[in-house]
Amino acid sequence: MNSWTGWIKGALAGVAMLGAGAAQAAPVEINFYYPVAIGGPVTKIVEDLIARFEADHPDIKVKPVYSGTYPETISKALTAYRAGQPPEVAVMLSTDMYTLIDEDAIVPFDDFVRTDEDKAWLEGFFPVFMVNSEHDGKTWGVPFQRGTTLFFWNKDAFKEVGLDPEKGPQNWDEVVEFATKLTKREADGNVSRWGMQVPSSLTSYWLLQGYVAQNDGKIADETGTQTRFDSPEVVEALQYWVDLAHKHKVMKPGVIEWATNPKDFFEGRAAMITTTSGNLTNIKTNAPFPFGVQILPEHKKRGAPTSGGNAYIFNGVAPEKQEAAFQFVKWLSSPEQAAEWSIKTGYIAAREDAWATDAMKAYVAEFPGALVPHEQIPYMVPELSTHENQRISRVIDDAIEASLTAKKEPAQALSDAQTEADRILEDYRD
Amino acid sequence: MSAMTLSHHAREASFWRVLETGACYLLGLLWILPLFYAVWMAVHPPAYEVRFELLAPLTLQNFVDAWNAAPFARYFLNTFALITTILVCQFVVCTLAAYAFARYEFPGKTVVFMLVLIQLMIMPEVLMVENYRTISRLGLVDTVLAMGLPYMASAFGIFLLRQTFLTVPKELDDAARVEGAGPLAVLLKVYVPLARPVYVAYGLVSVSYHWNNLLWPLVITNSVTTRPLTVGLQVFASPDQGVQWSVISAATLMTSAPLLIGFLLFQRQFVQSFMRAGIK
Repeated sequence: MNSWTGWIKGALAGVAMLGAGAAQAAPVEINFYYPVAIGGPVTKIVEDLIARFEADHPDIKVKPVYSGTYPETISKALTAYRAGQPPEVAVMLSTDMYTLIDEDAIVPFDDFVRTDEDKAWLEGFFPVFMVNSEHDGKTWGVPFQRGTTLFFWNKDAFKEVGLDPEKGPQNWDEVVEFATKLTKREADGNVSRWGMQVPSSLTSYWLLQGYVAQNDGKIADETGTQTRFDSPEVVEALQYWVDLAHKHKVMKPGVIEWATNPKDFFEGRAAMITTTSGNLTNIKTNAPFPFGVQILPEHKKRGAPTSGGNAYIFNGVAPEKQEAAFQFVKWLSSPEQAAEWSIKTGYIAAREDAWATDAMKAYVAEFPGALVPHEQIPYMVPELSTHENQRISRVIDDAIEASLTAKKEPAQALSDAQTEADRILEDYRD
Repeated sequence: MSAMTLSHHAREASFWRVLETGACYLLGLLWILPLFYAVWMAVHPPAYEVRFELLAPLTLQNFVDAWNAAPFARYFLNTFALITTILVCQFVVCTLAAYAFARYEFPGKTVVFMLVLIQLMIMPEVLMVENYRTISRLGLVDTVLAMGLPYMASAFGIFLLRQTFLTVPKELDDAARVEGAGPLAVLLKVYVPLARPVYVAYGLVSVSYHWNNLLWPLVITNSVTTRPLTVGLQVFASPDQGVQWSVISAATLMTSAPLLIGFLLFQRQFVQSFMRAGIK
């Protein structure tokens, strides 16, 4: 800063003071930061919901603030918080919880849950989604836009190679067997269709978690301070994934982009893919062939990771604003709205009663694929979430990438990752 | 004998010339390929994103979809307001500061100039929290001015103009003064006209930087009525789903079109200015 900004500061401070006296006796105003991580008119859907909330609650005004991607949202919210102007509510990754707690940026929901109705609302969420929302016996966030991974296959390709188009592979061995049949090699050795594709750019730990859960292991414990990257279950899981590409040669070697994976599926360059449940509508609209969708194949058991965003209430704002924020979050995640949000965006409604609403029933009857994520809920495991989460997920992502690009053996890559994670998390252990 | 050597030289020269021109075309082609690809994706239905068929059906639907995905008309207006404010303020502040540093003696001049230069070494992102605090104390959060304020006293601009002003012969300055011009008149009649290429070059760098700037505007603004184009573009970054490349391409072309067209129109002036100003 130089003297010139100092000059303008003085001039403008006066203007700011003039404006301060105006907002009295008006309804409580709260800011709501939300990211957009999917296509479609999300900003419109949000504004629509808020208009209805305000009609129900004339004493509260909500200002929706679209805040970019997830990483940009947490940057914006934390910057504003540190500068003393936090938003009242923000939707951020459920895995950001520890970071937010460590920054002292959020307050637990427990302080606002008073009536029996409040309690019933809080207990209505599926427990698996709450693992990434609870710490130290308190609830720090509530599930808002959650997802999981699903398994898709091209029925035409199945018919072509003599597989039953109505039945996807049910376990790891069948995936290899089916994928081997489905992989099509041209005379010149080029592959014109891969049997199986699993995306591995960005947050690939998330897909690894699915394999680890199916292998009856855990990638980390729930204290947020201990990862288990080098445990045998994790090593086997990564080995299986790497083998798809390098041993069985049924998956495109190297890193597979999230963004192009569904495209490869539409174009017939991949016969089976794993991708997010958020892609259901995308695939339904764009796949030029009949497709099948099911929960992830099992190994020792079924398993799949959860993902997505929680709604958090911020620290450092006036109590009546926090209270208003709580009312808003509660309304937003109550059965009717949760169902509506899920239908319009493709995220999973995180409570059983949302699935029992008329709107949801009608939707599922029209599009049975929408029920598949619900079917997977009993097998879901919480997403990797630790202190310093961004660094830890980076470490494991790098290990996965090194293995898939054959720079390191999976066992070696994972043991290196564990050493690094131990170093980072050391400070947070008692 | 001498005629032979000459033609030999000439031939050698023309060989290098051809090679040089060829290399230029190759680099030019490499540079423009992504742009061509973006245009290709933008004017075809999504099915042709990765398939090249010369006769693929053309469509403008992607542009329509992109335009409707966010209030782009308003964002265009905001971006124009933002870069105009920044540019005007930068020119005024930097010109005055550069003039003082170039032609006036005052105690602590070197120290102050060093302090200005230090600003060059600090990434604006590092100062985000502190800037936010300042802006919110000024009561300016969520305004166009807030997006521009941290960039107005540009150290780069001050440095660049000071160096240019230093090259202006002192005799011109003296002559103007003899004619009775005051300090401001000297600045406006002698220094600024001579530095015109530098202003053009610096203006271009500044405009393209602020046209593309995302993080600070996203952080400091909240409403549609203040946010610039780049924030609107973020709507298309949808990691939870497959990305619609054709719509993204259309949106990117749409938002960068004014800059691209402006550059093509004034290409000659820009290139000359850059050569003279020595910024590359």
